[in-house]
Amino acid sequence: MDKKAALETLMRLALAGDQRAYADLLQETARLLRPFLARRLNQSDAVEDLLQEILLSIHKARHTYDGNRPYRPWALAIAKFRLLDHLRTHYADHLRHAVELSEVENILPGHVTESALTYESIAGEIDKLPEKQATILQMIHQQGYTAREVAEKIGMKESAVKVAAHRAYKILKKKLGG
Amino acid sequence: MGNTEELIKALAQDATPVKPVAHPFVQCAKWMAGGTVYVALSVMYLGLRPDVMTRLHSPMFVAELGLLGGIIVATILSAALLAFPDMHQKRGVAFAPVFAIMLFVLAIFLAWQADNPPSALPEHNVECFLCITSLALLPAAWLLYSMRKFASTHPYLAGGIALLCAFSIGALALRLSEQTDSMAHIVQWHYLPMIGVGIVGLWLGRVFLKW
Repeated sequence: MDKKAALETLMRLALAGDQRAYADLLQETARLLRPFLARRLNQSDAVEDLLQEILLSIHKARHTYDGNRPYRPWALAIAKFRLLDHLRTHYADHLRHAVELSEVENILPGHVTESALTYESIAGEIDKLPEKQATILQMIHQQGYTAREVAEKIGMKESAVKVAAHRAYKILKKKLGG
Repeated sequence: MGNTEELIKALAQDATPVKPVAHPFVQCAKWMAGGTVYVALSVMYLGLRPDVMTRLHSPMFVAELGLLGGIIVATILSAALLAFPDMHQKRGVAFAPVFAIMLFVLAIFLAWQADNPPSALPEHNVECFLCITSLALLPAAWLLYSMRKFASTHPYLAGGIALLCAFSIGALALRLSEQTDSMAHIVQWHYLPMIGVGIVGLWLGRVFLKW
């Protein structure tokens, strides 16, 4: 029996109450979904948390599977749904906690050239930041690009650039005792 | 990783026999039967329009009713498929209401053109919308309640389609009982509100079809 057909058979047995088959099916599903989620999320904790949520959803929705159609698209539809939900909540949280760049700039000197705190003076600290954040700060404060231009150049969304810059400012503020 | 293993063990222990829900076409047939009975009862309650036999000789009227019926069938079918996480792997069929609505809009446009000189406007206006909405309440509640037993991964769309279906049922019942032929009135107070109702349905879907 090939692997694909095995999943349908396992689900049919699981629906009939076979606990062993159900455990095997969920194991196989987890094996299938882990790389799918890992490609879309960058934290392994988040992958495992979401995977568990998806397995619970599969358990809750198993009455909508009859064993007569391919199992994989059914499970993937649930996985995508939960992934989108997760991302929506995740980014909504970020937006809620995000501070406008203009607000953040208030804690930094208005004119870098007139201040004692220049990009060059804190370049060492900036280099210690995660690579993406350091690049963004360098482009904004050393090369004079706007957040939108940075976004275009490095292929990110403007909001993501702002969020990354905001995080970098917070780290620097903490380190520099602002 | 350990937690996932434990979760799988716990879920497997909970694996009692489960009866799969009916095929979407069977579900669709049930909802269709319910919708037909409801339209019939509503028309009986409101009274069949006295000129119905004459109007049934008008191809535009027949096309309008037929396509409104088509929207009901297409939305019921779509709702039945959207209730499944994977749309029962019949994605194309789930979008059938798009074609039904396009044809309906075309028929209404032609009927409006044919309503020349325009028929007299009735004295009432918003009452029609309120009547259709009242008639749609029960089918909407029934559809949303039935769909909750499934596991839709498109709750917004499913909610919108369910409400569109319920409103079409109400609109069909009223069209069969109200003796009005002014297309301006019918478009404005019978059919245009469908757009708003569909939007409300998107929100209701999010609220009621969450799982």
